[in-house]
Parts: sequence; structure tokens; C-alpha cells
Amino acid sequence: MASLMRRPCLSALRTPLATRNVAGVTQVVAFHASARRQILPPEPQTIQGTMNDPAPIPTPHPSHGSYHWTFERLVCVGLVPVTIAPFAAGTLNPVMDAVLCSLLVLHSHVGFQASIIDYFPSRRVPKTASFLNWLLRGLTLTTAIGLYEFETNDVGVTEAIKRIWKA
Amino acid sequence: MASLRTTSRLIASSRPLFRPASLARSYATVESGAQEPAPKVKKFQVYRWNPDTPSEKPKMQTYELDLNKTGPMMLDALIRIKNEIDPTLTFRRSCREGICGSCAMNIDGVNTLACLCRIPTDTTKESRIYPLPHTYVVKDLVPDLTQFYKQYKSIKPYLQRETKSEDGLEYRQSPADRKKLDGLYECILCACCSTSCPSYWWNSEEYLGPAILLQSYRWLADSRDEKTAERKHALDNSMSVYRCHTILNCTRTCPKGLNPARAIAEIKKMMAAH
Amino acid sequence: MLSQKVAQQSLRRLAVQQPYAMRWSLMTAASPVAVVIGRNIQTRYAATSTNTTEPTKLLAEQRLRRPVSPHLTIYRPQITWYGSAVHRITGLMLSGPLYLWATAYLASPLLGWHLESASMAAAFGALPLLAKVGLKGFFAWPFTYHCLNGLRHLMWDLGRGITNKQVIQTGWTVVGASAAAALFLALL
Repeated sequence: MASLMRRPCLSALRTPLATRNVAGVTQVVAFHASARRQILPPEPQTIQGTMNDPAPIPTPHPSHGSYHWTFERLVCVGLVPVTIAPFAAGTLNPVMDAVLCSLLVLHSHVGFQASIIDYFPSRRVPKTASFLNWLLRGLTLTTAIGLYEFETNDVGVTEAIKRIWKA
Repeated sequence: MASLRTTSRLIASSRPLFRPASLARSYATVESGAQEPAPKVKKFQVYRWNPDTPSEKPKMQTYELDLNKTGPMMLDALIRIKNEIDPTLTFRRSCREGICGSCAMNIDGVNTLACLCRIPTDTTKESRIYPLPHTYVVKDLVPDLTQFYKQYKSIKPYLQRETKSEDGLEYRQSPADRKKLDGLYECILCACCSTSCPSYWWNSEEYLGPAILLQSYRWLADSRDEKTAERKHALDNSMSVYRCHTILNCTRTCPKGLNPARAIAEIKKMMAAH
Repeated sequence: MLSQKVAQQSLRRLAVQQPYAMRWSLMTAASPVAVVIGRNIQTRYAATSTNTTEPTKLLAEQRLRRPVSPHLTIYRPQITWYGSAVHRITGLMLSGPLYLWATAYLASPLLGWHLESASMAAAFGALPLLAKVGLKGFFAWPFTYHCLNGLRHLMWDLGRGITNKQVIQTGWTVVGASAAAALFLALL
């Protein structure tokens, strides 16, 4: 009952002010940030379980979690010297060149993989995600073999880049 | 009964309540003195969406306020708009001093608490106010944070301990161990950081986001907690932590000056070492 | 209704005792007439209907209609997330051509393409100077940026340099240094 009293109180208080404030005339413009050119249009909102249930935790998988991350960081650390070396030494010997190539392939693979997980999560687009993952695996394999062929039959990646750069 | 009390109070202390309506403004409005200075009118563009007409697209609505008559903070501006121009404008607010986290929103492109955000005095530029980015909008500036809270619950944000303390009284901690919790326990879970994170935008269903990970680290770093291994194991998948790509929007935007990115880096270090 | 009646009574009493106060109270409080003709009743729409048979279902239906607030388009451009996006894009700009070229090299005997270093160097050498510099720059800048920013990432993963000030400083340093290094490499 108290609210019954209060509510008209408030509206009566508001009316003279609202009419008085001529400067505050509202103006409405259409809003178009939610256009169709979105990369991954968000799905309609659904909530699993009631709001008192904790959000489900993905199954622990160290080979996708901490081991994966540690391995990927070690690859990055390994890439630092073999990236600097060609600039210091001119070109690399075949062993170092092979190390550079294998680290590059691993690093690229993990990078592509992260992009797929980020933008094509299997929970939303399971078919696209698995297609892209298999495509990535295939391409990583062909890239690795291609680089192996290049390393064995040609002059090596660093030397090749040097020759093209100087051409 | 309530109304009886109200009216009897009205009679007892009639003075402040029976002021003319034009004077009875809210605290968000500043009373000007005898001499009115030149008005400083600033435009505020506010995101509007009404659940009663769900087929209508969200729109931006422009309001104009005289800054001389408005309090210094964005929340003052919003309250004044709601009180004096448009009572249908909907937003959350409570403490007005940056401790409740209710008024988290995107102001001029960055997530912050409206109560801690000064209104830019440059009246030539309009201020744009949106709800927290990439959230489901309940109405106007009110986002649905259900998933955020459910994720908070999933990390078990409480002390887990089996053994009793030696004296059976309290779980003591050395000052050095207590110091590790500084910069973590101050988090008010306003969701500014999580909703500023592009990774969280794309994968909020499974990625926990900076705020929840900061809280997670708060319990991982607590010397009194005995379930550190279990906590780490629960995070050990590709989604919960490792969607963090150190973008650092979280630390940049935190209205409390905390550092969620550093907490996540520490989690990653802990996980790698185990 | 009892309390409403009490309220009306006290208002009447007020009018007799304090006529000035009554004038203001009439402006601010609901007049009894308004109460009687129902003008003080607020209208509520479907979203807050009184149908409480399936409250969870109603909420779930409402959730499906909710829009998602704008994100990429409205968030302020900052070195943090722009730098990160550029890091990923430059990575893709380097790894993508590597993958395409290595796979094509593997398939070149079947397709009859010439992708060995000698013919590629010859083809590149035949380009006009401007195209050469442009093409070098096109690969050099992603390379320098991704490498230098990668060092920043390695530093962060050790838990260092993650304060707002340091992040902004190193971020712009990387932008400047990578541009300078790329220019140098392109003109080499």
C-alpha cells in the first residue's frame, strides 16, 4: 500500500521537470552494429540447467591443456635463436635449417589450430570444425613433406630466401 | 500499515518533504547558485532495447544534459536522464562508489563502472553508452550475467580444506602468504574485464574469462587451500584457461586497477610446472 | 484497503491543520479521485505477465529473443587488442603462404610447376623494382612484427611486463621497431 502512495508521488514530481527540460528532447536513431557481416553471428541465448547450477567444466585433457601450452611455448623459445641466426651467420647449415623448418611447421600448426578453436568452436559448428581440423592436419603433413623435399633436393629455406631477396 | 507510517511521518516532519516539486531533485542533480552560468549541454547516446517489443532492433537514443546541473560522474548523468527526461531508461546501479559492480557498462568504448567514470567535459563530443559488449541484453543497459555467475560457481570459489588447524581455532597464514592475495581479493566481479576480452566474446560458453580466472587464481594462490591439485586439474583443458591469448584488454579496462592478465599468466605458469 | 483509508483520513486532517502543506501534498500525492478511476495503475506488457505456471519456460523464451550487445564495432581501438589481432593476422600471413608454397612444391612435379629456388629467384628478379620492394615489404613487415611481438608474448608468459604502462610502451615500441626493420629489409 505504501507503494500505491509513492508511485503517483514520483510521477507527479517528474512531470513538471520533464516538460521543463526542453533541451533534453530525445532523438532516436537506428542502431546498426548488429549487421549481417558478422563473422560468427552469436546464437540465441540458452542457459544449461538452472541459474544455480555451476557451468559445466570441459573434461580435463592435459595433452590439450597444459602439456600443449608448455610444448608450444618451448617451440617458440626454440624459434628465437634459429630466427636470429640466419641474420648473423648469413645462411644456416642443413641441420639448423631442418630445425628451423620443423619448428616453423609445428608453430604454424598450433597457430592455425588456435584460430580454428577460437572462431569455429566444435560446440557450435561441429562439422566445420572437424573438417577444418582434418584439412589442417593434411596440409601440415604435405607442408612437412614438401619442406623435407625442398631441404633435400634444393638449397635450403634460408639460402633460398636469401637468393630470392637478393635477386 | 506502511502507509499509515508514511503519512504520519509526513505530518510530523513536513518541511523537507513538502518542498516544491521543482526543488525536490535527486542527488544526481546539482543545485546551481543564484547566478546561472552558461549551460554546458552535452549529448549522451544511449543503447536502447525493450524486451516488450522484441522484434524492434536495438537503437541509439540521444539525450542532452546541462553539465552544470549534473553531478561529475556518468552514473549521475544516467540517473538524471532517468529522473528528469526518460523514466523508461533502464540500468543497474547500487552503491555509486565502485564497490558493488552493478553499473558496469561500456562508456565511450571502454568497459568501466559508470559511478567511477567522469563525464568528459568536452561538450563538442557526444558520449556513447552501451551495455557490456557481447552480452545478451535484458533491457537497455542491463546485460544477462547468468553464464558469468554460473562459471564463477564452477571454480568453487571457497576455501577447500580437510585438515584442521593445529590449535583448532583458525587457519593461520604468514604475512607473506597473505600478501599473495593482494590484488586478487579486491575483485568485485563487475564483469568489465571478461566482457572486454575478444576471446571471451567468441567462446564465453567454455572459456572462463579473466574475471573468473582471477578468482580461480585467488584460490590457487591461497596457502590455506588444500585442493590446489584438483583445481589445477579441472582447468587442464583447451578451453577453460588456454583460450587466453594475452590480449590484455582485461588489465587495461579493470575499473579497480587489478591485473587479471597477470593472474592468468601465473595460472599458466603453475599449470606448466605441475 | 484499510491503510488506504487511513491515508485519506490523514490527508483530510492535514488539509484542516496545515493548508499550505496540503497544497504541496496534493501536487505530489495521488488524489483520491485518481485512485478511484484507476489512473495510478501502471500497464505492464507481455514480458512481465502474471502467468506463473511455467516461469522457467517464460524466461527461456525471453532469452531466445535477446539481442547481443555490440562488441568489435564499438570497443575503443587500443594497442592491446589491436596489437593482438595484428599478431594473429601477421602469423596467418606468414604461415599461410608457407603452407601453400610447400604443398605446391610437393605437388609441382605432378602439375609441372617450377617452384625450385633458382626459378623463383629468376622470376622475382624479373619484376620491376617497385614490385620487388612492395613484395618484400609485404612479407617483411608481418615477419618483423610477429617476431618482435612474439618476444613480448614470451616475456608475458614468464609473468613479466604485464602492467598497463609496460604493455602500452612495449606495444608501440614493437610497432615502431617492426616498421623500421621491415623498411630496412624491404630496401635490402
